Amino acid sequence: MRRITHFIYNQKAAPYIFVLPFVLTFLVFFVYPVFTTIRMSFQEILPGMITNVGLKNYQRLLGDRIFRTAVSNSFEYMFWTVLILIPMPLALAYMLNSRSMAAPGLFKGILFLPILTSVVVAGTIFRLIFGELPGSFMNTVRAFFGLAPIKWLRQEGTGMAALVIMCCWRWTGVNILYYLAALKNIPPEMYESAEIDGANAWQKFRHISVPLVKPTIIYVLTISIYGGLAMFTESYMLWAGNNSPRNIGLTIVGYLYRQGWEQNRMGFASAVGLVLLVFASIINFIQLRLTGVLGKEGD
Amino acid sequence: MKRSVLSALVLALVFCLATAGAVSAATKVTLWTFIPQHARFFDVMAEKWNAQHPDRQIELESSVLPYDDMHNKLQIALQSGVGAPDICDIEISRFPNFLMGVPQLLPLNDYFAPYLDDIVPSRLGIYSKGANMYGAPTHVGATVAFYYVELLESAGIDYRQIKTWDDFAEAGRKLKQVHPDKFMGIAETSAAWTVTAMLAQQGTDLVSEDERPLINTPEMLRAVTTMQNMVKEGIMTTCPDGQPDTEGGKGFIDQGNVACVIMPLWFMSRFVDEMPSMNGKIAIAPVPVFEEGMPRSLGLGGTGTVVTNYAVDKDLVGEFVAYAKLSEDANRMIWEDLGFDPCNTSLWTDREMTHNPENRYNQYFLNNAFDVLLEIKDEIQMVRSTSISPTINQYLTTVMLNELFEDLLDPAEVIEQAQYDIENQIF
Amino acid sequence: MAVPSAKRVRRGPRLVLLVFFVCLSVVVLLPFFAILLASFKPAEELIRYGLNLRLDWHLMSFDNYKYLFTGITPEGQHLPHDYLLWFRNSVLLTVMQTALTLLTSAWVAYGFAMYRFKGRNVIFSCVLVILMIPFEILMLPMYSQASAMGLLDSFWGIILPFMAHASTIFFFRQYLLSIPKEIVDAGRVDGASEYGIFFRLILPIMKPAFSAMAILVGMNSWNNFLWPMLVLRSGKKYVLSIGLNTLLTPYGNNYDILIAGACFSVIPLLILFSFTQKYFIEGMTMGSVKG
Repeated sequence: MRRITHFIYNQKAAPYIFVLPFVLTFLVFFVYPVFTTIRMSFQEILPGMITNVGLKNYQRLLGDRIFRTAVSNSFEYMFWTVLILIPMPLALAYMLNSRSMAAPGLFKGILFLPILTSVVVAGTIFRLIFGELPGSFMNTVRAFFGLAPIKWLRQEGTGMAALVIMCCWRWTGVNILYYLAALKNIPPEMYESAEIDGANAWQKFRHISVPLVKPTIIYVLTISIYGGLAMFTESYMLWAGNNSPRNIGLTIVGYLYRQGWEQNRMGFASAVGLVLLVFASIINFIQLRLTGVLGKEGD
Repeated sequence: MKRSVLSALVLALVFCLATAGAVSAATKVTLWTFIPQHARFFDVMAEKWNAQHPDRQIELESSVLPYDDMHNKLQIALQSGVGAPDICDIEISRFPNFLMGVPQLLPLNDYFAPYLDDIVPSRLGIYSKGANMYGAPTHVGATVAFYYVELLESAGIDYRQIKTWDDFAEAGRKLKQVHPDKFMGIAETSAAWTVTAMLAQQGTDLVSEDERPLINTPEMLRAVTTMQNMVKEGIMTTCPDGQPDTEGGKGFIDQGNVACVIMPLWFMSRFVDEMPSMNGKIAIAPVPVFEEGMPRSLGLGGTGTVVTNYAVDKDLVGEFVAYAKLSEDANRMIWEDLGFDPCNTSLWTDREMTHNPENRYNQYFLNNAFDVLLEIKDEIQMVRSTSISPTINQYLTTVMLNELFEDLLDPAEVIEQAQYDIENQIF
Repeated sequence: MAVPSAKRVRRGPRLVLLVFFVCLSVVVLLPFFAILLASFKPAEELIRYGLNLRLDWHLMSFDNYKYLFTGITPEGQHLPHDYLLWFRNSVLLTVMQTALTLLTSAWVAYGFAMYRFKGRNVIFSCVLVILMIPFEILMLPMYSQASAMGLLDSFWGIILPFMAHASTIFFFRQYLLSIPKEIVDAGRVDGASEYGIFFRLILPIMKPAFSAMAILVGMNSWNNFLWPMLVLRSGKKYVLSIGLNTLLTPYGNNYDILIAGACFSVIPLLILFSFTQKYFIEGMTMGSVKG
């Protein structure tokens, strides 16, 4: 007993005790499931009947038109969210942080509000806002401009737009806070000396703010890419289920969910999951390499 | 003094324990369903059961879960062998998933045996695998046409004269002349009620006997071309949320936009519960056919109640399910409380039940549902439900019907592509 | 504001900015306003005409909220539902999960930030790997794992797998890296144990980081859907997100209670946020990523 106590209080052992909870959860709830998934992707799994099918699940993926739809939807969604949710919140944060801003706290609070709604609630709200009845909110907006009502959630372009808008509505506030945090770390003297040199607002933004918040931009970019590729619940809630017309809202994880949970093809679903895993790993690896997050631990 | 207080306390304690013991003698039975009305239905049936079986009491614990999540959870629970309920309501389009491999459900043949004489056999067939019956049906779900009589009459149309799809289209043209903004019917995009009914009329189905998808067929082409032409002419329309049995669809009907809704008979309950403005304006009639003499109805929709292999007391639970779904008591309740066409067809002629003027379903509609049911009784077809049915259904209701009735793409090409896509997912 | 107003602020840009942000706020708040309005209208109204901003005073009432809190429907029927129970469960789960996740993650992050030890890089890469992998891929094996450990149908089953939470560990580590190591050394000189240093010296310093993460973790926990849905099975243990979703079935929606319930479910987070907002931003600032 004393030896154990002694070991635990040893300075050499301490770091391992600290990271132990993580290592345990990593092994139990991550490593084991990953290996199970890999094994399952080579199997056909039915209750009481498991057969090895080799590469059949992967072969089927290659010719699967719906899987391609899902992949392209996921990437399209990721593209738009990255395009909007990286620069826009930065610009807003910069304005909020500016000296000329009145009541920044109030506006920060308001812009942050949407993230307090759950996906279930936000999905319900946006499904109704983008409803196809002539009296639905977005259609009354169209009517105001003299346009005929349209079926927002049944057409490819408008469906994706609704999804992206919902996502931007929810996440802009959070990204603003990330950026604001970084902007506040920039000493005000840097702006003042730039002003003395005659820099205007845009130049200050471009040449002082952006370079200094670069680490935050990279962080937000990383989570946006990952979140974009793995998106599922947003689409599930916006279309009140996984079955959007012509699969316009189907994502990779949505397809995994459909095959595995709705149609009982766990083996095939595992193959879908592993393909997504490969996509995410490649992108994130490139990204982390470029930004050097992985390289910094050595010191 | 103190002693007596103490002994009184002890006595009270013993009494409490004894009564608690008596209460817990009832077997705890868990039930999942995704329909609140069904949960209430089972609660009532459990009370009736307990009244009739004082020595075999059950304590029913029913949970209402969201549709998708309930099926998914049941699937994992059966797959992993943990956490399954004793009884579960499985929706027909998900049912085949639970029959794949070795079904983790209890064959109910022995328990059903006493009731089988009165029950439509085909409704048991859709929840069976081989000779084993796994699910107790709720209703027949005979497809009928619900006509909005007031609207039709204002355009000079007598719904009784509509026998064929040509009559239907002609009536639609007449309606258009008087009410350009109204429609004769709904072309569903997120469900396949009408298309399936049209296939049954021509003697086919979505899936063949040897479990191959039957999408690229002349019968399918005829069905979807007929509907697409009506959509193009403005006789039929797509509706909000893609089909009548959704909140958008019901709102659309309740606003009086359509003169005819083709749905299984259980849609009556939706009218009564959720479409108050149509009260006293709807008549029930057989569905139009391509050529007179074709079968005019088809059983659609439904839930099969199953007992899982993990049920605590299999005999008790099995007998209870059989009683709660197939007995005469149950079938009366199914009509009177839920407003569905019961599978015990001998009740269809029980005028006291079917024509009860107090019944809220009878009060809502212009004619009696059972008069129509008896007229088409021998024509009611049954859908085939196989392991590939969920995939076919899913594809039809997300892709194919949208391409046909929203995008108005060429029917021949659409069904050819559909056949290919579905086969690719299956084989 | 942190930026000292050394120079006089000009009026023009100030007004432009103000107008711009007022407009933006209106757009952001519109969905809230629309749903709040709908929560006072009968459900049929919503189903027939869609969600809109029309103010019909004669149609609006507190009926939906009355139903929500008393179980008495607008028609006067008594139809009990479990909304208040779900609400209580959600509060309980969120408090438990937030407290445990923050503590465990801080504990782990401290190990990564303050020590150099063999295998640190490898283990920390594992944190990043978890960050990148959508949990949905691993749902089935994770579920069987949880059931093998007897965690089903309990809040522990929801909490345990995510207690050492990758992104929180990442954030805390970044934050701790900015704290001078001299504090730790000073603690050691004073004879405190490694763990004593963590509890007595480090935890108090981490307060701003804690409040920043408290709202993010709390928000996730309050709004979490998929995993609780798989873990919980008895209706009495449901949390709000799942409960609200049970109101949406293909066999008729309970829009009256769904909409009112959705509106009311935002309130606890609103309160939490308004109290912690100050610390929240402060914490984010100090822990901001130093890549």
